[in-house]
Amino acid sequence: MTYFPEEVVEHIFDFLGSHRDRNAVSTVCKAWYHVERFSRRNVFVGNCYAIRPERVMARFPGMKSLSVKGKPHFADYNLVPYDWGGFALPWINAAVRRCPGLEDLRLKRMVVTDDDLDLLARSFPNFRSLVLVSCEGFSTDGLAAIATYCRGLRELDLQENEVEDHGRQWLSCFHESCTSLVSLNFACLKGEVNAGVLERLVARCPNLRSLKLNRAVSVESLNEIVARAPYLVDLGTGSFAVDHHTDAYQRLMNSFSKCKSLSSLSGFWEASPHCLDAVYPVCINLTVLNMSYAPAIQADDLIKLISLCFKLQKLWVLDCIGDKGLAVVASTCKELQELRVFPSDIYGAGATSVTEEGLVAISSGCPKLNSLLYFCYQMTNAALITVAKNCPHFTRFRLCILDPWKPDPVTNQPLDEGFGAIVRSCKNLRRLSLSGLLTDQVFLYIGLYAKCLEMLSIAFAGDSDKGMVYILKGCKNLRKLEIRDCPFGDIALLNDVAKYETMRSLWMSSCDVTLGGCKALAAKMPRLNVEIINESEGSDKLEENISDLHKAEKMYVYRTVAGPRNDAPDFIEAKEAKRNSRVPKESGRRRTLVVVQ
Amino acid sequence: MSTTETGNSSTTESAVSGLDYEETQLTLAASGASRSELERKRGFSEGVDLSLETKDFLSGSSDEAPISGAGEPSAAKAQVVGWPPVRSFRRNVLKSCTYVKVAVDGTPYLRKVDLEAHAGYQQLLTALEEMFSCFTARNYPNERLVDPVNGTEYVPTYEDKDGDWMLIGDVPWKVRSSSNFTGNIKGFGSHVEAINKEELEGAISTIHGKHHSTENNLVEW
Repeated sequence: MTYFPEEVVEHIFDFLGSHRDRNAVSTVCKAWYHVERFSRRNVFVGNCYAIRPERVMARFPGMKSLSVKGKPHFADYNLVPYDWGGFALPWINAAVRRCPGLEDLRLKRMVVTDDDLDLLARSFPNFRSLVLVSCEGFSTDGLAAIATYCRGLRELDLQENEVEDHGRQWLSCFHESCTSLVSLNFACLKGEVNAGVLERLVARCPNLRSLKLNRAVSVESLNEIVARAPYLVDLGTGSFAVDHHTDAYQRLMNSFSKCKSLSSLSGFWEASPHCLDAVYPVCINLTVLNMSYAPAIQADDLIKLISLCFKLQKLWVLDCIGDKGLAVVASTCKELQELRVFPSDIYGAGATSVTEEGLVAISSGCPKLNSLLYFCYQMTNAALITVAKNCPHFTRFRLCILDPWKPDPVTNQPLDEGFGAIVRSCKNLRRLSLSGLLTDQVFLYIGLYAKCLEMLSIAFAGDSDKGMVYILKGCKNLRKLEIRDCPFGDIALLNDVAKYETMRSLWMSSCDVTLGGCKALAAKMPRLNVEIINESEGSDKLEENISDLHKAEKMYVYRTVAGPRNDAPDFIEAKEAKRNSRVPKESGRRRTLVVVQ
Repeated sequence: MSTTETGNSSTTESAVSGLDYEETQLTLAASGASRSELERKRGFSEGVDLSLETKDFLSGSSDEAPISGAGEPSAAKAQVVGWPPVRSFRRNVLKSCTYVKVAVDGTPYLRKVDLEAHAGYQQLLTALEEMFSCFTARNYPNERLVDPVNGTEYVPTYEDKDGDWMLIGDVPWKVRSSSNFTGNIKGFGSHVEAINKEELEGAISTIHGKHHSTENNLVEW
C-alpha cells in the first residue's frame, strides 16, 4: 500500500468509520500514521485525563468533531465526589488555539461552566452541534450564549444534565435568522420557556427533525408545535398533562394523526392515563418509545399503547408495566432490539414490579433483542438459562436485582449458573452488569467465556481475590472494570499490573484494597494514574498518619500518557512512580498531591 | 459508603429499632394475616433470612442491612449510597411524583391525584372536587355533613397499614416528597374531606406492606 499516492491511501481510509479501525491503521507504519492523522475528522477521547488536549489537537489538525468523556461511570450513582474533576475548559481552550474549524463537540460526565459555553459559542464560526450528556456546572446563561453566537447551529442536545435555571429566556436568544436547527433537546431543563418564542423557532426551522421539550411545556404549546412541524421524526412531548375531555385533547389527536414521519416518542412527564389515546395514530410507525419518565401511567394504559407498536425497536419503561405488560411487549414487538425496565419505586419494594417471568417472556417473544437493562426484585437461574438460550445475540446485558446478595428465590442458590449461561451463550457480549448473590464461580465463567467483554460492572459479589483474578486473566478485551462492595483486595489488584495498561480504567470502592496496595501498583506502573478518594470525616490531613494497611475507600486507576493531573481536588491522593528516562516526554512534571479529608 | 464502620453502626441501630417497633406496636385488626399475605406476594421472607446468613461470610458487612424485609426499615436500604444504580436525574424525577389513588364510595371509578401539586387541604380538596364534580358537595373542614335522608353524619376515613379504619384529619398537613405509591382514601357516603399526607402515607404502606421508619413517614398513633 505504501506505493500508492497518499491521496489514494487517504481515500481508502475514508471508508474506515470506527475510531478503532483508524487507530489500528495508524500503527501500521509511519506513512500510514501521517496519512491517517491528517485525514481524521472525528476524534474520540474516552478519558479526558488519558492525554493532554494539546497533544490531541497537534496530532489531528483536521479535527472537525470531538467527543470527550470525563468522570468515571459510577459518578452517575453519586459515588464520585462533586468536584472530582473532568473539566471541559482545557479542551475548549486547546481547540480554540489549534482547531478553529471545530464543528461538533460532545461531552459526557464533564464539568462545563457558562464561561466555557460562552467561549465555545464565540470561537468557532462553523460550529454546528453541541451534545452534553450527564454534565453539570452550567446554567441557562450558558445556553443563551450558544443560542446567540452559534449562527449556523444545527444541533443542541442536552441529555440528563444538571442545569441551573437562571430564568433567562435563553430560547429567545436564537436569532430570527436562525433557521438551521435540525435537533433541539432541552427535556432536562426545569425552567419555563416562552411558548411563543418556541413555536416561532420551530416554525422557521424547516429541517427540524428531533425536538424534545421539557416538563414545563404545556399541551397547548405542544399542539401548536406539532401542527407546525409535521415532519418531526423524534418528539419529546413535554408535560402532556391534558384532560381527555377537552378540546385541547381533540386538537392534539388531530395534530398527531398528521405526523407521518414520527418514529420516536418520549417525555410524557405529567401524562395521565387516558390522554395516551392521542398518540395512538403514530404507534404503528414507532421504532423508539420512552415512557420511563411517566410514573402516573400504569400497566393497563401502557399495554394499550404498546399493543399497537409493531415496529418498536427500542423500549424504555418503568417496572409498573409488570410481567403482564412485558408479555404483551413480547407478543407485539417482534422487532425489539433494546429494552430498559427502570424501577418506579426506588426506596422500597414496589407492589407492582417485574420478575423473571417478564424477562423470560421477552426473551422468547423478541428474537432480535440485543440490549437489556432490567431492574427487578428477583431472578432465578432457570430464567437466566432460558433467556440465554432464547437470546444468544446480547451485546449488552445489565441486570439489577434491587436487593444486594439476593439468591435465586426458588432454589436459594447463587446466580452463578444463570449468568454463566448468559456469557456462554452470548458470544458477542460487550457489556455486562451483575447483581444478586454471586460467588467466585460466576467470575470463573466470565473469564472463561466472555471473550468479547469490554465493560463489566460488579456490586456485592464474590468471595475472594480469586474472583477478580479470573476476570483480569480471562477477559482479553476488557476496557472498563468497575467494582463496588466486593471482597477483592491487594492480591487481586497486584496480580497482573500490566493488564491495566490494556484497559481504559479500573474503579474499586468499598473493597479490600489498601493504601499500600495502591502505592505498590503506582510504583510498578508509571503510566497509570492511581487515584484514591478519601472522604472519611475527621481524619487528619497528614499522609504519614495513615498506615498502608488502611483500606482505600475509593480507588480509580486509569492509563495515561499525560502524567498525574494538576487539577485534582484536595481529597484525592494521586500516586505515581518517580520520573525516569523511560517515561514518555508528554507526561508531566507534577508532584504528588496529598490529602485526606 | 455503607460498608464503612460509621455506616454499619447506624444501619444496625435503625435495623434493630425497626424490628422492635414492628413487634411492639399495638394493632386492632388481625394484622398478622395481612402481613403474611404481603410476604407471600413479595416472597421476601426467605430472602431476608438467607441474606442474613450469606452476609456473614462476606467479611466486614455482617452488620449491614441493605435489604428491605418485613421488619427491615427502608431507611437501611436508603443508606446504601448509589444503590440501586439509578442516575440522580431519574431519581429526582421519580421522587417528585406522588400520585395517590382516591376512591369515593358510590362513584364508579377511582382517580389519581398528585399530592405534591397541592400545598394544603384546601387546594387538594378543590382538586378532588373537580375530579368528582358529579358526586361531591363542597365540604369545609369544620362542618359536618349530614345525610339529608336519615341524618347520619358522613365522615372521611382511610385504611391504615394494619387494615384499620382511621379518621382523617388528626395529623396536620405537611408537604414532603416521597416515591411513587398508591393509597386508598375512602369517604363514607359521597364526601371526601381534606386529606392529610402523612395519613396517606400510612395508608400507602398498608398496600405495600412496608414499614416506613424513615423520618418522613412516621405516623403518630
